[in-house]
Amino acid sequence: MTRPVGFAVLRVGRASFLLHRRAALVAVLLGAALALAAVAYLCVGESFVGPAEVVRVLWGQPSPDAFVVGTLRMPRLAVGLLAGAAFGLAGSFVQTVARNPLASPDVIGVTQGAGAATVAAMTFGVAAYDTLPYISIVGGLAAAALVYVFAWRRGLHASRFVLIGIGISVALGSLTQLFLTKGDFLVAQQAKVWLTGSLNGRGYDHAAPLASILLVLTPALLWAARAQRSVSFDDDTATALGVRLGRVRLGLIVLGVVLASVATAAAGPVDFVALLAPQIARRLSRTAQIPLLGSALTGALIVTVADLLARKLFSPIELPVGVFTAVVGAPYLMWLIVRTRSRSGGPA
Amino acid sequence: MTGNRLRAEGLVLTYEDRTVVDGLDLEIPDGQVTVIIGPNACGKSTLLRALGRLLKPRRGSVLLDGTELARIPTKRVAQEIGLLPQTPVPPEGITVSELVTRGRQPHHKWWQQWTEADEKAVTEAMDRTETGDLAERPVDELSGGQRQRAWIAMALAQDTDLLLLDEPTTYLDIAHQVEVLDLVRQLNRERGRTVVVVLHDLNQAARYADHLIAMKAGRIVAQGAPGDVITGDLVQEVFGLASVVVPDPVTGGPLVVPGAPGSTDRSARIGRHG
Repeated sequence: MTRPVGFAVLRVGRASFLLHRRAALVAVLLGAALALAAVAYLCVGESFVGPAEVVRVLWGQPSPDAFVVGTLRMPRLAVGLLAGAAFGLAGSFVQTVARNPLASPDVIGVTQGAGAATVAAMTFGVAAYDTLPYISIVGGLAAAALVYVFAWRRGLHASRFVLIGIGISVALGSLTQLFLTKGDFLVAQQAKVWLTGSLNGRGYDHAAPLASILLVLTPALLWAARAQRSVSFDDDTATALGVRLGRVRLGLIVLGVVLASVATAAAGPVDFVALLAPQIARRLSRTAQIPLLGSALTGALIVTVADLLARKLFSPIELPVGVFTAVVGAPYLMWLIVRTRSRSGGPA
Repeated sequence: MTGNRLRAEGLVLTYEDRTVVDGLDLEIPDGQVTVIIGPNACGKSTLLRALGRLLKPRRGSVLLDGTELARIPTKRVAQEIGLLPQTPVPPEGITVSELVTRGRQPHHKWWQQWTEADEKAVTEAMDRTETGDLAERPVDELSGGQRQRAWIAMALAQDTDLLLLDEPTTYLDIAHQVEVLDLVRQLNRERGRTVVVVLHDLNQAARYADHLIAMKAGRIVAQGAPGDVITGDLVQEVFGLASVVVPDPVTGGPLVVPGAPGSTDRSARIGRHG
């Protein structure tokens, strides 16, 4: 045996990297699928633009469709891609730390916290528009801290963590409703659409903070890719292998909460993407932990395709993208809960 | 005695408010197999966890080469001390090959994930544990004996001078128990590794230990060579069990045969301890 089964070794001088072959292949295929979906997204709309013309616009060549493709559809696509990727990553971090596929930021109240904070800021007009992403982060972190405080009983038990998270998320949902009824009617209308997770009317000013935060976090993401692997054992084994569990967990959780909150600020709490993407990517890649790149690509693909359908399927009515992700996500969530219960309750 | 690498001084170990080990001094002899025995809940696994810095002492300290374990970066500790918990949980779906590779983690830098040293250690660990044939199999699907061999291979790949094993034979049948313990001793004899094993079975402990530590209620009752430590009185004191100690017909070491001398009434004996 010269290297671990299923891995390729990349060598550059004295540096060496282990590459999971199947995960790499899946990432390439997901990337290709995403590129196709993105082009399709730009083609389809009130008026159809041919793929060749879309590619011309993408290359920056003059085109009669430059306005429709470049100005109307591109920014919205950018928000979808970035938010989807951020949700995928966020789900991956939270699920990894909780060791539970149910524990995703949209189930345990993080996106609801981000949502409540943002709606409060919108309806009461206390914050300038461009500070909303940061208010969203504060809301998400506060919700996560709340879950943590309630779930902590000399250790963090995974199922208690999830149950308390669900409770907190419901409570935050009610709080959001309260803000909506108290606030200005027009703003409340806007906030309501945003709350279902909608890319309608989203533009570069939504994409820009998301892109810059993802860019700033890139070194942290590289760290996280390795950290995810090291926390995939039980606590004792991981510690015996030299992992500083407390720090690694905290780092991953904070990263996950920040990403979910920023994505929520940009696209609204698009449900179930953070829940679905990591598990789909993992099943495709057959890795021993959730593959990060795969999760990000899957998240982006889900949001892009869902928004494509949301725009076109019932046109001229444009549905919020969150409606479509929920159509797929809700049955999956129910299946997960049923499976978890039958596993822990009945005979194996 | 200050030459040994791993020591404990005035160790007080607690779980929440319950004191499990109270003021224990201990020295693990280098290059030997040390076996810790004692009844359930005597603190032997707790002690092992503390020796492997999985449990922070309430008071006192565990010292590695004279430095408090808590002051050494955990990754550095992992290069010197390997520890296999009683029931380690593998990442879901991981193959034996990848599991063993994870043992190299403490030696990795982020830009050096597969060096010649890694390759050598992993190959050797798999050869020794005869897990080469299982390389592509998921750990979840292995039998108890195979799984335990895979875990030990991971601990071996970590390539540490000190190896701590918490009841490595618990879920194995008798043949696999002997196989695992033979392997442990072989590692010690051929590579001079210091091994500390927590065991349930008195006779296995007597057979495989160079140095035996008998614990009861969080303190050390006796320690030394098995032939000196294991007596009928000690078994009575530590386990509350009447027994006869006879020479092991295979090794000549002590062999504990439960029961009062001359007594053939099994029900009476069982009744007394039930």
